[in-house]
Amino acid sequence: MGKLFAVEIIYRGVFQKTLAKNITRGIVLAARDEGKFGLSFGRYGDSPERNGIPAKSFAIVADDELTLEAGMAQYEPKQVDLTVVLDDTLCKGAESWAWYGLQPVHHALKPGSTLVVVSLQDAPALLKTIHRREEPYKLGVLKGVTSFSGMWVYKDDHTDVRVLGAIAKALPEVVSLKAVEQFITEKLKNALKVTSAKTAYDRFKPMDVKPGEGNPEETFKFEFPGWTNMRQGVSIKGQPQGGPYRDPVSLEVGGFRPARNELFKKYSTRTERPVVNFATCTKCTLCWLNCPDASFDVTPDKTYDANLEACCGCGVCEAVCPVENCITMVNESQFTDNKSQWVAYREDKDAYLKWLEKTIKSAEPVEKRSYGFRYRGQYKEQAEEALEIAQRG
Amino acid sequence: MTTTFVEEKPTQNLEPFKGVKKVPYEEYFTSGHRTCEGCESAQIMRLMAKAAGPRTIVLGATGCMYVANTSYYSTVWGVPWMHTQLGAGGSSALGTAAALRVLMRKGVLKDEPINVIAFCGDGGGADMGLSAISATMTHPDYNLLILLYDNEEYGNTDIQISGTSPYGVNTSFSTPGKVKRIMHHRWKKNVAPLILAGHPTCKYVGTISTSYPLQAMNNIRKALSIGGPTFIHCLNPCPKGWDFDPYIAFELGELAVNTGIWPLYEVENGKLKLHGKTEQIANGRFKRLPVRDYLLKQGRFAHFTEEDIAFFQSKVDEMWEKWLVPGVIPLQKDLEG
Repeated sequence: MGKLFAVEIIYRGVFQKTLAKNITRGIVLAARDEGKFGLSFGRYGDSPERNGIPAKSFAIVADDELTLEAGMAQYEPKQVDLTVVLDDTLCKGAESWAWYGLQPVHHALKPGSTLVVVSLQDAPALLKTIHRREEPYKLGVLKGVTSFSGMWVYKDDHTDVRVLGAIAKALPEVVSLKAVEQFITEKLKNALKVTSAKTAYDRFKPMDVKPGEGNPEETFKFEFPGWTNMRQGVSIKGQPQGGPYRDPVSLEVGGFRPARNELFKKYSTRTERPVVNFATCTKCTLCWLNCPDASFDVTPDKTYDANLEACCGCGVCEAVCPVENCITMVNESQFTDNKSQWVAYREDKDAYLKWLEKTIKSAEPVEKRSYGFRYRGQYKEQAEEALEIAQRG
Repeated sequence: MTTTFVEEKPTQNLEPFKGVKKVPYEEYFTSGHRTCEGCESAQIMRLMAKAAGPRTIVLGATGCMYVANTSYYSTVWGVPWMHTQLGAGGSSALGTAAALRVLMRKGVLKDEPINVIAFCGDGGGADMGLSAISATMTHPDYNLLILLYDNEEYGNTDIQISGTSPYGVNTSFSTPGKVKRIMHHRWKKNVAPLILAGHPTCKYVGTISTSYPLQAMNNIRKALSIGGPTFIHCLNPCPKGWDFDPYIAFELGELAVNTGIWPLYEVENGKLKLHGKTEQIANGRFKRLPVRDYLLKQGRFAHFTEEDIAFFQSKVDEMWEKWLVPGVIPLQKDLEG
């Protein structure tokens, strides 16, 4: 038996579906040019794939056909030689299958292997969110704007070929730069893309991550029901009704917090979160009423607090809010916890408002991403800007 | 006095919510479902459950709102809910209502009005389940509501054409080609008028949109209060299949109404009442926005040329200028006579 290599792409469901497919397909076709055998396939964090949900795509490459077939017999590679994270907010963890709870992004990465993250931030900043692990690994950042598009229209901003360039540097046993260049020239027929891949290859310099380095937090876990404690037939427990809760400062009880699904929390399905200016809130109810995820708690003083275990970051609340700058969607990379904003506001108003201003401002450099199609011609404009940023490095 | 042999039972009298601030806090469809970011179909489930209240049984035909809301031994439903087959939305509602009546008559259950709602997607309601819904709508005895949540595609199986997919749309079954650009050339099925014109027993038919949540909830409450077989059709923008930034989900729902593509109305015991902007459009007080404002914000129409947009516009114009009941009934007026 020859050697089998596996590459895992962690991406945002639907938003990056085509991008992930292009990359794994590219790996296999480039490896084939060098006489290897490969297969690319997708597997969703949840099936069917939904917008924003962490999802995975794989490429397996082998020296000979028999080894490839042995690899194909596995539902998904248990260990991978390289992991690519296409959206840096996924560094907080991905739920690779519904029963698993959150897993660190390097969960399947072999010791000493490379984790590639597409991000505008640098590696030390990303390590604040990437969980600790006992084995060492390498972390390399591919500087670039997170590339999001949608089901039908693809944003061709060279992210796919740039990732291929970085893979050629980190894992030349699977694809060499020559093979990547040949694949782009022959299949994609785009000289500029060859340059993009080559530049990414030249610039890609991963850093060593020592054992124990990174985010000390435990990932979100819950108790899995076994078959012995499942109910008869196919019935499951419904949701109880929520109720009022206590203001931490005045100790007054009021408002309303709904009961929520304990087995699925949206921590890793979110790419941005709403931050609320409670001082300018007019209590109009619109964010609460129009939230498809019922994620707003009605606070005892009748404002609305986005509960971050339930918010998936769609941005509808910001869109419907009639007060300017009352609700602002901010990139998830700016936050390290999921605590209540309203409690922080109640405890110290001035400090909260200062934090609010600072957070929105500090997110600006990483806010260059967009979350899908809004108008025609948008992707062309954004691709040009993204290419410029990629060139600067 | 004639005997009709129809055995009607009282309903819960659900008064309309008088303003957004009067909407109750209680959630019967709560957080933690696995739908897409900005899923308006999940939003209508939430509004529907809120409007109907605790004394309600919900039946759900296969679709996104089955798969995403009851995944992996957990659920977000706070009222009794049961999955039913794709085409069984109508029959499951009828069967449940009939069973409740028998159990109450036998004294097994307390005799009280209980809302029975079956929801189905456009695949379950406008395609596969249409005959069962049609049969259900002819039964005068039972109080039930069929809610059709329409995202204009089979969303759960990665976007195929359904009977309510709009003209020209890009789906997995109608990828625009280089030679033939428009691979779906059928016009959207006009489901609510189909139900209302064909089923005189049906006491209430309405169209709603999640971008008008208060009206949507009050129409649901009205349908449940009127009783008998009732039907509501809701348009839900779908960020995945329509291919748009979830941020504009709400705006697209409004645009569908303001361009005249999605008229909002209700028919109560045969009397038609147009709502909001739709009523203003019909009475000339609001000029319909061009359909391009709606189409060009969605990736599923990204292949449309000016010619395609003009054709789409002409079909919508026809709805408002030539139909016997503008926006609702597609019989054409005899312009000569």
